[in-house]
Amino acid sequence: MSQNNSLSVLLKGILKENPVFVLILGTCPTLATTTNVAGAFGMGIAALAVLLCSNILISLLRKIIPDSVRIPCYIVVIAGFVTIVQMIVQAFLPPLYEMLGVYLPLITVNCIILGRAEMFAGKNSVGKSALDGIGMGLGFTLALVAMSTIREVFGAASFAGIAIPFMEPYKIEFLVKAPGGMLVYGCLIALVYAITSGKAPLKKSFTCAGCPNAGNCHTACTEAPAAAETEKGDAQ
Amino acid sequence: MKKSVTSTIVLVGICAVMAVLLALTNAITAPIIKQNQDAAANEALLQVMPEGEGFEKMDVSTYELPSTVTEVYKEKNGGYVITLTTTGYGSGMVIMCGVSADGTVTGTVCLASTETLGHEKTFGTNFTGKDAAGVDAIDTISGATKTTAAYKNAVKDALNTAIILGGGSVDLRTEEEILNDHLTAALPAAEGKFTKLFIAEVIEGIDAVYTADNGKGSVYVVGEYFIPVDENGGMQVFDSISLEIQQNVAAASVILGASTTEDIDLTEYAETLKYITSAKKTATGNYILEVKGPGYGIVGGDDYHPASGEYIIVRVSVTPDGKIIDTFTVSQEESKGIGDACADEKFYGQFDGKTESDYSDIDAIAGATMTTNGYLKAIERAFDAVKILEGGNNE
Repeated sequence: MSQNNSLSVLLKGILKENPVFVLILGTCPTLATTTNVAGAFGMGIAALAVLLCSNILISLLRKIIPDSVRIPCYIVVIAGFVTIVQMIVQAFLPPLYEMLGVYLPLITVNCIILGRAEMFAGKNSVGKSALDGIGMGLGFTLALVAMSTIREVFGAASFAGIAIPFMEPYKIEFLVKAPGGMLVYGCLIALVYAITSGKAPLKKSFTCAGCPNAGNCHTACTEAPAAAETEKGDAQ
Repeated sequence: MKKSVTSTIVLVGICAVMAVLLALTNAITAPIIKQNQDAAANEALLQVMPEGEGFEKMDVSTYELPSTVTEVYKEKNGGYVITLTTTGYGSGMVIMCGVSADGTVTGTVCLASTETLGHEKTFGTNFTGKDAAGVDAIDTISGATKTTAAYKNAVKDALNTAIILGGGSVDLRTEEEILNDHLTAALPAAEGKFTKLFIAEVIEGIDAVYTADNGKGSVYVVGEYFIPVDENGGMQVFDSISLEIQQNVAAASVILGASTTEDIDLTEYAETLKYITSAKKTATGNYILEVKGPGYGIVGGDDYHPASGEYIIVRVSVTPDGKIIDTFTVSQEESKGIGDACADEKFYGQFDGKTESDYSDIDAIAGATMTTNGYLKAIERAFDAVKILEGGNNE
């Protein structure tokens, strides 16, 4: 594994394969927690921690996990780490725990994590899985922070809870509501597509046909995109 | 078969590993989470006990506490935070009061109320740093007496609660119950049923007289002493009581004719005694009468005025041979600052010992001739009533 290759594994999650804006995963927490920059950042970091830990453990265990029970195994591992993160946040960052509420335990069913476990960690080395976890986690965090900044500054005239007085008369409260979140989300997806046009994987390139592991994949190849659709539906 | 066994073992193994990791994390975080939650719950408690720490809710069901107490939190250093629900002007005034280990109020706050003037929101600051005596000394706010008195009583209840929970004992009974206990202790034969004899209010040297409802005697209250006198006038003599008090009691019991009274049925005197509202005869034959007298409010004489509330009601006790033992103004609606002087002992005390021939030789109330005359009229009617009653009895 070359240095360059590792770097690309790390960086691809940030823009080129950004889980939120390109892979369209984790839509539910994206819409729910981006009304406040602090909450969005906390959510991103919590997801990053879970993603990193679960990617490492699943990668370590990928040789001994039988194919038939891999999804239950992934879910046990992910749910375990989510609960650990939840307990740590509750103990040391009670305000964040209050802010995230139910979305913190819901990281368990965040399809970025299950998706990366399925798409990447289950098939790659520990080092690369760890880098993938960090990259994807950072990508998720950056996406949430970007989106929450727009929504909070223009929708609530504040940043991370600190009021911005001169924005007060111009705030668009619609943006902090769920439909406003959808609108901002759509605009950002469009923006990222425009920036990465040509380089970003096309929709079809990460369906079954585009999957690098298409050759050795037996079942459930469409799971990740399908799950993303479901998430999106939930958020509405 | 082998494949499913392997799958099961791997899945169980992974579950076990995660369970261990969770257990370890929980061991570390659980105490911190508990601490955080306590801190949040205690925020309200800290309002009334700023230096308190380690609050714990107490189960107080085994203690006999004032009825207003709803919740008690024990503080680590021996203090208590007590929540009380009381009734001020309206019901449902909830007060939280902190009491330190040395029995002083650390702070109070009104959590909920339906009072009208809002004094309950600020009145609590008066109590901070006060002990039981200090709380007693706080004045209620005139115009919001119900609110502030209820607040004060709630704080007293909180102080008492702290004493009880600390292992001490407090007399939680009402003043009436305490008084009744003293009376019963002095005169057990009365079986705990007493009626205050209002006639005795003005007898010199006696604070109050309570007669037994079952006629077994009465108890004379002089200062801190409760002196029983049985139905035959026999006084129990205590060495600790001064001779002067004993003489006063003996004299009073003679004046009042032992202690038992008998209600006189006035219906048969409906015509002749229409100004007498109640009449009692004591065992020694003295009469205790309540008489209506026309006051300043009764324009044109009391025969014509329907508003009985404006009469002067005078309680007169008279011997059968027409000598006033005592008079007392029961009620009056005379002009404030002038005629209402008839309710002052300085005025009605003048009649004691008078007879029909000299009862009018008293100092009239300055500027209230009509009131004075009305009062004299009441006394005159009392003398007339005694004559009629005596005559009636002789028949």
